[in-house]
Amino acid sequence: MTDSSPVHAAKDLFVETSDGPRLLGSRCETCRAPYFPSSEACHNPDCDHSDIQPAHFGPHGTLWSVTVQNYPPPPPVVASDPYSPYAVGLVDLETDGLRVIGRLHVEDPASVKVGGPVELVLAPLGQGQDGHEVISWQFEPR
Amino acid sequence: MGEVAVLGIGMHPWGKFPKKNLNSICRVAVDAALADAGVNWKEVGAVAAASSRFSGGKGWGLNGNDIVEDMGSTGLPVYNLSAGCAAGANAFNVGHMMVASGAHDVVLVVGGEKMPKGFIQTSGLEDETDPEYLRQRCVGLPGPGFWALLTRQRMEEYGTSHEDLAAVAVKAHKVGTHNENARFRQLFSLEDVLNSNMVSDPLRLYEICPVSDGAAAVVLCSAEYARKKASNPVWAASSAVATARFDDGLPRGLGCVPSPGRTHHSEARISVAKALEAAEIGPKDLDFVELQDNTVYYELAFPEEWGMCEPGQSESLLHKGETLPNGSMPINPSGGFLCFGEATTAQGLFQICEVAWQLRGEAGERQVPGAKIGMAQSIGLGGNGTAAVLKR
Ligand SMILES: [Zn+2]
Repeated sequence: MTDSSPVHAAKDLFVETSDGPRLLGSRCETCRAPYFPSSEACHNPDCDHSDIQPAHFGPHGTLWSVTVQNYPPPPPVVASDPYSPYAVGLVDLETDGLRVIGRLHVEDPASVKVGGPVELVLAPLGQGQDGHEVISWQFEPR
Repeated sequence: MGEVAVLGIGMHPWGKFPKKNLNSICRVAVDAALADAGVNWKEVGAVAAASSRFSGGKGWGLNGNDIVEDMGSTGLPVYNLSAGCAAGANAFNVGHMMVASGAHDVVLVVGGEKMPKGFIQTSGLEDETDPEYLRQRCVGLPGPGFWALLTRQRMEEYGTSHEDLAAVAVKAHKVGTHNENARFRQLFSLEDVLNSNMVSDPLRLYEICPVSDGAAAVVLCSAEYARKKASNPVWAASSAVATARFDDGLPRGLGCVPSPGRTHHSEARISVAKALEAAEIGPKDLDFVELQDNTVYYELAFPEEWGMCEPGQSESLLHKGETLPNGSMPINPSGGFLCFGEATTAQGLFQICEVAWQLRGEAGERQVPGAKIGMAQSIGLGGNGTAAVLKR
């Protein structure tokens, strides 16, 4: 039996809280600039004092743009087997000031509409090369 | 600052050359540029070279050192510049500064590349501090997908159609067919492009550029030196480099903090504005431009973002033929990346060669009539942007 227990696509990028899934990043307490992934220092040239603290982002956003990946990219990309095209979006998160990238969790990738509301979910991307199911943050159209 | 002349240009054709090594490809371009300039290798005071992560350079991006060893180790200084796909143009900028400052009379700028197969992927390292790795591992968005996101957003905002996108590729090949250095010289119909495979929706195979091998070289010199060698040389009126702003709307990793409005590719907008200002011209004064068309999207978006035309106007200019060499706003008379493919670090110098050929009136069937002033523009990984204005 191969061990196919789920693993996270990367460490410290997302978390399941009692309020639902959130992205893990940071925010500069001086200028309020948000960072995902977390940053060690504030990159805002107009900020005179970097004060980075951990922050959660999401779950609500609006889809800024979308593409459907029509052919299977090579590893480290994880996708379903057999391959079926998936959608990737750029999402403007409500109230956070962040635009983030994420795969879209949706049956029919062609049905996704730019400008529509989306919500953060944690869901499998597919099976990694080592046989483990790989979980990542995704956005589900609402 | 002194004036800088583009005294010599040379290119190895773009293509796939599995039997040639990188040095021999670069050598063709360098020999051609030196011969074109009428300059002996021993007169070259310094070399500015594009660093490659894909080929040559002793695995350290020391591509300039390889070229110097090949040409003859005279002890001259070498600068190896890394700026992703903008490396060649970045090297041009450093060469320009070395001549303009008076540090050197004659500088050779060179970029050459042998690319691995397929679309450009990540660094190959499983490094969770590398945003490019994280983007592939956690989301899965290769380069064409990145361009597709920009393209889809434009379609939503301006109503750009699939036919508009395909028409850019048709136009590129219509001019590129006349360029003996281009790799893809066949003509395409609108149907050919629309029937090519969908890669990253909405972009099709013929609407994005693949990778190529190629090399280009440029000899820059001072005004005093130029007068000894040429009666009417091409001048580098300006050369500018910029990086993306903090509030850029295009995430280069996983996220960004956009300001309102069209803020993406600020590195391109800033470098172009700086180059135009230093050349003391406005965007509408350009007779033509060679811009980085990794995909058809850029040929529509960039001229608008730089003020060459109004937002949302590019499609109608395209359909009226105004972006052809004999139009009112010629874009990429070389055929651009779509006809050449991308030999990443050589691209910025292939553009300089084309702009110089155009200004000399030596571009044959793809000549922009009466071209007096042109611009070359490139962008690269890391938010690097460059622009240079050449005139005659
Ligand atoms: Zn700050």
